[in-house]
Amino acid sequence: MDFDFSDDQEALRDAVRRWVDKGFGFERRHALARDGGATRELHQELADLGLAGLTVAAEHGGLGFGAVEAMVVMEELGRGLVNAPYAHAALIAPALLAAAPRPLQADWLPRIADGRALVIPALQERAARYRNAHVQSRAAHSGDGFRLTGAKTVVPAGDEADAFVVPARTAGDDDDPEGVGLFLVARADASVRGYPTQDGARAAELTLSATPARQVAADAADLLSLAHDIGIAAACAEAVGLMDRMVAVTVEYMNTRKQFGVPISSFQALRHRVADVKMQLELGRSMSYYASLKLGEPEPQRRRALSQAKVQLGHSMRFVGQQCIQLHGGIGVTDEYIASHLFKRLTMLELAFGDTLHHLGEVSERMQDSAGVFA
Amino acid sequence: MDLNFTDDELAFRNEVRQWVAANLPADISQKVHQALRLTRDDLQRWAKILGKQGWLGWGWPKPFGGPGWNAVQKHLFEEECALAGAPRVVPFGPVMVAPVIMAFGSAEQQQRFLPGIASGEVWWSQGYSEPGSGSDLASLKCRAERKGDRYVVNGQKTWTTLGQYGEWIFCLVRTSTEGKPQTGISFLLIDMKSPGVTVRPIVLLDGEPEVNEVWFDNVQVPADNLIGEENKGWTYAKHLLAHERTNIADVNRAKRELERLKRIAKAEGVYDDRRFRDQIALLEVDIVALEMMVLRVLSAEKSGKQSLDVAGLLKIRGSEIQQRYTELMMLAGGPCSRAFIFEAMDAGWQGEHVGAAHIAPLAGSYFNMRKTTIYGGSNEVQRNIVAQTVLGS
Repeated sequence: MDFDFSDDQEALRDAVRRWVDKGFGFERRHALARDGGATRELHQELADLGLAGLTVAAEHGGLGFGAVEAMVVMEELGRGLVNAPYAHAALIAPALLAAAPRPLQADWLPRIADGRALVIPALQERAARYRNAHVQSRAAHSGDGFRLTGAKTVVPAGDEADAFVVPARTAGDDDDPEGVGLFLVARADASVRGYPTQDGARAAELTLSATPARQVAADAADLLSLAHDIGIAAACAEAVGLMDRMVAVTVEYMNTRKQFGVPISSFQALRHRVADVKMQLELGRSMSYYASLKLGEPEPQRRRALSQAKVQLGHSMRFVGQQCIQLHGGIGVTDEYIASHLFKRLTMLELAFGDTLHHLGEVSERMQDSAGVFA
Repeated sequence: MDLNFTDDELAFRNEVRQWVAANLPADISQKVHQALRLTRDDLQRWAKILGKQGWLGWGWPKPFGGPGWNAVQKHLFEEECALAGAPRVVPFGPVMVAPVIMAFGSAEQQQRFLPGIASGEVWWSQGYSEPGSGSDLASLKCRAERKGDRYVVNGQKTWTTLGQYGEWIFCLVRTSTEGKPQTGISFLLIDMKSPGVTVRPIVLLDGEPEVNEVWFDNVQVPADNLIGEENKGWTYAKHLLAHERTNIADVNRAKRELERLKRIAKAEGVYDDRRFRDQIALLEVDIVALEMMVLRVLSAEKSGKQSLDVAGLLKIRGSEIQQRYTELMMLAGGPCSRAFIFEAMDAGWQGEHVGAAHIAPLAGSYFNMRKTTIYGGSNEVQRNIVAQTVLGS
């Protein structure tokens, strides 16, 4: 039992933080968001640091790192309010493609690792909400490949991607956990309608009409479940970075802003709220560690743990976001100041990979007689 | 980063688990698992069993006869005891006064007092709060006047937990009214059999005489019983508070009680009620998050690499969770929770229960747990401390 980061992990954290400090201040973030939220150039800068290949195996030109390194990077991207689709492109896509036939891996993973290719998993369907086993899109054999028909919703950086990893059904009803395969679809072959998001990035609606695709994996239920859990851990870690930054700017503001002739940090009503914010931040950080450290466990334990973590982080990010806006007063609800942007990202993260109520339901379903970190 | 305990730590846990299984009397653990009333004899019996093994002072370093365990080992020991249904060790001797005697007492005081604490022979009480001094503890007035080789103590202490059983009491007393209130306080050990000491139990909202008022009327205390220097008592008391780190969260007991909550919810048919069950799920998440926070503190203590100043957070969260599980248990009990049959909480009671035996203690436990956000520094005081740390001002 040890929650210290290794020297390598600290060095990784420093590298990301240095890049944020030098190249990604709030002004740039603000300008990117105002201009529509395109982030492909950002993704390339992260790739130039080696980060696009963080979890890609060394044989494909990646760094071959694991869940804790991913968590470290996500925390720092959160702290920096970096709006690139890093979790999808650099953490989930490589995990899915690692299950692909060798030629497909060799074709895509090296290009993912160095940033030439932006591959985005398109995991959500409108009717599924957060149930990842619910897949309406269909895949049909066609020659030596497949053709996909269906629609995927709110695909991160969808109109900037080169390709998508798409779940589609080869058999079964919409809710059948079996019969879902994973497919690779080139963006050029799909119909893509892009738009800006509330949190300063872009997403797209993806329409597939007998769209040509290559099969990544045949029976992909377990893989899809893992993909969502990787996404949850990433969202948790990003939220921790965001909350750290939010608390830091709030503390600075409260110690500077004066009313009634004294800093507002002297008022007990506000001080107690700060204590409550700190509580939610530290509970959230604790459960973010838990999420990443449980990713390698067998499916039942992993699934339960990741849902527990998302419930905690859902509460934490909503509470910290809302309260820190309130502690700022009027400046907190302006577009010009960073707090509102941190708040909006935190708010949207609660909706990513299953919201709090969805995961509370999961925890509820999966409860055992005993509970605890090691249960 | 590694979530799992090391092989050595797991072996240690196993050793403790086997020992507890072999030595914890079944009648006592049954009472604990069913939240029935524990007698003085129950508590004393378990304390002496631990004492015989050298584990009553489980946090003590080796030079003072303790096992010299590190933070993780202490946690594992506490967890094994809690999960097995051991009663909480009454902390005033081994956990509270002993570390102060070790750090600030003379060699003579150490030899005189520590063996009786380590063996569980001597029951200690705590004399801090006064009727006029709760959160503002430093305003305390109970006076100790030096007269030759003794102090004469006059005043009143209150909220003295289980003080009706107390043989000795460690007190914060006022020895000076000069300067700041904190600088006129001394740390004095008082024999409760001394003439002039009067103890009166206070019945709490659950009907139990858990705490006491203690009066001192010209009580003669040998000056040898002063710990350290006169007027330095506040510093020693703060040292004591710093000693209460992770076990203040009581997360191990929360895990045991969550299991009981599930048993009761199943027996009462609400475990399959989605609305009720989600509340249990929420509590389960809260408990796991608290346990992770505790483990982070332990890891930081073990490695010494990072400092984690979250003791206030642990107290706030741990106490809220204690209140929540008793609340959910009472709600699971349903209307039968309303019955108040005092004897129904005694083990072996032969009368007819209302609803079921497991319902009898639920409302009382809920009422009793309201104390947890009040004692040990109220949660509002803890928030002041946390805010000070976060805001740096």
